[in-house]
Amino acid sequence: MSGITITMVISALVFTIGACGVLLRRNPLVQFMSIELMLNAGNLAFISFGGMTGSAEGQVFVLMVLTVAAAEAVVGLGIIVAMFRRRRRIDVDEVNSMEG
Amino acid sequence: MVVEQVVLIIAGALALVSALGVVLMPNAVYSAMMLLLNLISLATIFLLLHAQFMFAAQLVVYAGAILVLFLFVVTLLNPQGENILRDKHRLQQAGAISLGLFLACLLVGGLLYAFTSATQPDLASTVTQAGSTYGTVEAFGQALFTKFLLPFELTSLLLLVALIGAVVLGKRR
Repeated sequence: MSGITITMVISALVFTIGACGVLLRRNPLVQFMSIELMLNAGNLAFISFGGMTGSAEGQVFVLMVLTVAAAEAVVGLGIIVAMFRRRRRIDVDEVNSMEG
Repeated sequence: MVVEQVVLIIAGALALVSALGVVLMPNAVYSAMMLLLNLISLATIFLLLHAQFMFAAQLVVYAGAILVLFLFVVTLLNPQGENILRDKHRLQQAGAISLGLFLACLLVGGLLYAFTSATQPDLASTVTQAGSTYGTVEAFGQALFTKFLLPFELTSLLLLVALIGAVVLGKRR
């Protein structure tokens, strides 16, 4: 197996583990960490494909993903802290006041 | 070349184990530590793929900024630990795991099919040859500030919106 095949398989598996983490855990903090895992798996795929073509586009996309990840972490953690302030507990199953 | 392969396999195994650790650890602080290990092993793989600038950016932005923010919130809220092995949502867990296995089979099967039926992909020769500028700050900045100038400027707008959102969310009513 070539190096790119190995990195792409690692990327696919890390993405899957992150997706399972979002579905399995009830703690929004750990769900956020799982989302970071998925974003990182995407980054790895971008860099692998960028290396295959030898152009810098893949790395530019990774920089965009890094920006999105930073913005998402700030806003998401702000929401979690606001949630904790209202209810004193954090559990995604209890957040149902917006349910139709 | 052999050394690179060995390091790649070790870093890949470490990335998978630490990703599982993020999901399975009962305490959120341990999950964050496992996420740190995952980020570092992925950064090592970036270095093996000749993306030196991305290796540094990964360490600075993720391990230095995002993870510290995570740890700050985890220690601030101090949530009680949860053991997913003793969770009550059995059906939901079984569904999540089977869907995850399906997704893994689909992705890995598709990748292996695409990569063995065609020619085996590898790093381009312009990347691996000696004296190549691929992945250096110079080459990366050249692309970022010429071809991708507009997207790069628009990310500043994204960061500004996130900043305002964080302030609004953190304000006391």
